[in-house]
Amino acid sequence: MSEFHDDYPSYETLAHHSEEEGKKIRKTLWRVFWYMLAITIFELVVGSMAPSKGWSGTLGLKVLFIGLTILKAGFIVMAFMHLGHEKTFMKYAILAPYIIFISYTIFIILDEGVYSGNSQNRTTVDPLLIKQQQDLKAGHGHTAPAGHAEGAHSEESKH
Amino acid sequence: MSHSTEIDSKQAWDGGQSPFGVSYGKMMMWFFLVSDALTFGGLLISYGFIRHKYEDVWPKAENVFTHFPFIEQHLPLAYVGLMTFILIMSSVTMVLAVEAGHRNDRKKVTIWMFWTIVGGATFVGSQAWEWFHFIVGTETGALRHVWSQELGTYVEQTVYGANMIVNEYGVPQFANYFFFITGFHGFHVFSGVIINLIIFLNVLKGTYEKRGHYEMIEKVGLYWHFVDLVWVFVFTFFYLL
Repeated sequence: MSEFHDDYPSYETLAHHSEEEGKKIRKTLWRVFWYMLAITIFELVVGSMAPSKGWSGTLGLKVLFIGLTILKAGFIVMAFMHLGHEKTFMKYAILAPYIIFISYTIFIILDEGVYSGNSQNRTTVDPLLIKQQQDLKAGHGHTAPAGHAEGAHSEESKH
Repeated sequence: MSHSTEIDSKQAWDGGQSPFGVSYGKMMMWFFLVSDALTFGGLLISYGFIRHKYEDVWPKAENVFTHFPFIEQHLPLAYVGLMTFILIMSSVTMVLAVEAGHRNDRKKVTIWMFWTIVGGATFVGSQAWEWFHFIVGTETGALRHVWSQELGTYVEQTVYGANMIVNEYGVPQFANYFFFITGFHGFHVFSGVIINLIIFLNVLKGTYEKRGHYEMIEKVGLYWHFVDLVWVFVFTFFYLL
């Protein structure tokens, strides 16, 4: 059915399958869906518990969330996008750049972000930040430390 | 369709084959997604950098996104959780449409494509709602230092909601990145809904039935799953961390 090269194999129909195979595939897909739903609910529960338990911003929590995110991304790419069923070389042509890219950028963000966030390096170039730290210390609004902000503002919708 | 057999590696060197044994259209969709993922990667990396820099003044998402439609209560992250569920769900309906396409089951493709479009449109609407509340802000507002052009210095004033210059919830950069990244993602979802709609109409017309295969569903499906994939990352980095 390919329009331009009649002697090419018809790749479009290679993925076709029967009703019985389809049943098995659907079962896998729904299982993946339940896994992803469970992960998301778990993330939300932990995320909304974190401030009251003092977990917010801890390294363990960050690693947990990023780990679960990558797990979910893996489910989407491998099961939903069928990359797991493609040829090995195709799989790595797509994945390898990201594995290298992500490891490098995690390193560079942590390194450079921490450097430029260091008070010695940043306050000389960023007057707005000084003002914002004053706002924070004064305890105005939402950047007030956790506990203070909790329940301090009635956040009812205006509508 | 006469050649629809497995390709063995000895034959592969004789030419007349598509690289990696996939069709041209699917390959090009993957190429596009790889480049688009790099764009989103760049945005999230610059977000990570700024967030690390302003670690001590960065607002907590639990204190910002607390609204839920029709319920006047303090419900942190509940709505964004629901939005995530809707998008994951529409990804599942999409993949079921792709699966039905592999069996040339036109009726099932129509049903699942329909629910995918409904899910996508709901997500875009929810995002608009979330933006609206973020921009309008709270009734109390917050006292912030704001740059005054006339005085040439920072003056204190009460700020309501968030825009590109001031942000009630914390540093303006938070609002800037929120608008840019969720906006860019929202635009992807919007175009995804439009593309899905076009393909849906083609399914109704019987275009793919005539063609003998539903690969087009698989190609738009790849795009749609990618949009879901990006949201998984945006959700983590904006709302959870």
